[in-house]
Amino acid sequence: MTGLSRRPPPDGGAAVEGYLAAISARLPGPAWARSGITAELRSGLLDATDAHRAAGLPPAEATAAAIGEFGDPALVADGFTAEIAARLARRVAVILLVTGPLVGALWLSTAFTSHLGIHHVPPWEWQNLSGAVRAAIRLLVVPVGVTVWAALFGIASTGRLTRWLPAAPRRAATAGAVAGFAAVGADALGLTLFAAQLVAGPGALAPIPAAAAATASIVRLILARRAAHRCLVIRASLA
Amino acid sequence: MRAETLKGHLDGILLAVLEPGPSHGYAIMEALRVRSGGAVDLPTGTVYPALHRLERAGLVRASWSGSGGRRRRVYELTPAGRHALDGERSTWRDFSAAVTALLQPAPPPAVNPS
Repeated sequence: MTGLSRRPPPDGGAAVEGYLAAISARLPGPAWARSGITAELRSGLLDATDAHRAAGLPPAEATAAAIGEFGDPALVADGFTAEIAARLARRVAVILLVTGPLVGALWLSTAFTSHLGIHHVPPWEWQNLSGAVRAAIRLLVVPVGVTVWAALFGIASTGRLTRWLPAAPRRAATAGAVAGFAAVGADALGLTLFAAQLVAGPGALAPIPAAAAATASIVRLILARRAAHRCLVIRASLA
Repeated sequence: MRAETLKGHLDGILLAVLEPGPSHGYAIMEALRVRSGGAVDLPTGTVYPALHRLERAGLVRASWSGSGGRRRRVYELTPAGRHALDGERSTWRDFSAAVTALLQPAPPPAVNPS
């Protein structure tokens, strides 16, 4: 869909493109959501223009009639807000659920390659770590658990269950924001533990896995924070 | 007829419009007008988001089709969508029968000859 939107406008003309720009400017959410919608509306407007021309209107009047038929850009954009909120929340939730185990696996591989622990004992029982670090590892269950539950709720409330449940885009956006901020907390805690280990035993960590895990966690933290903020902004527009 | 009047039945109406075969956004809006004799003329900001919602629910499938100058996002019913349409029809028959019965003019009260 995004790829399609990068194509040059087929034959929309200035009036159609101006109208679509007015809608796009009022649509909340990220660019991928807006571009798919405007691409679809563009083809609809061109179909409407064709219909008016077939009915005998000259080109410019046919375009104006099509735009008039599609209506006030603000109202069109308002109609899409709930849908964008639901799609955004769903996308955020899916990405967090997919990336979480990947980042976790990178941290575990860092720990194992650095010989911080042994495979058959959970990390909070590794004797190579200080008591404070082991306690902090136990704490990780809170942000990780909140992320997983909020993301699962966000996915459930925006997917096939909506056939039977009332639409709740505001709740979905809340779930997306909660999952995002909880993921920020999980990554921040992981990075703090990493920093503590660096201070306690400089040189003990395997450099390449540690750098990969820290980079992945920092990137995820930044993106999760941005996604959570977007969910909050679109949630506010649904009030 | 305003979108609010159709609230609760919009999904069934859109599924019914898609029942004969795949269609795109503007053709669906046109079909709503034509099949209702002009009584249903829903705004763009209602029809397109509703189609997206039905897609998310797995009741319709959407794909871009066409090549060259114009590509359209085409919607078609999924098996779950056909099943949901059957349910919507059944619900509507019960609902309309009940409301029709309730809206019938009440029979005049029996007059006591005394």
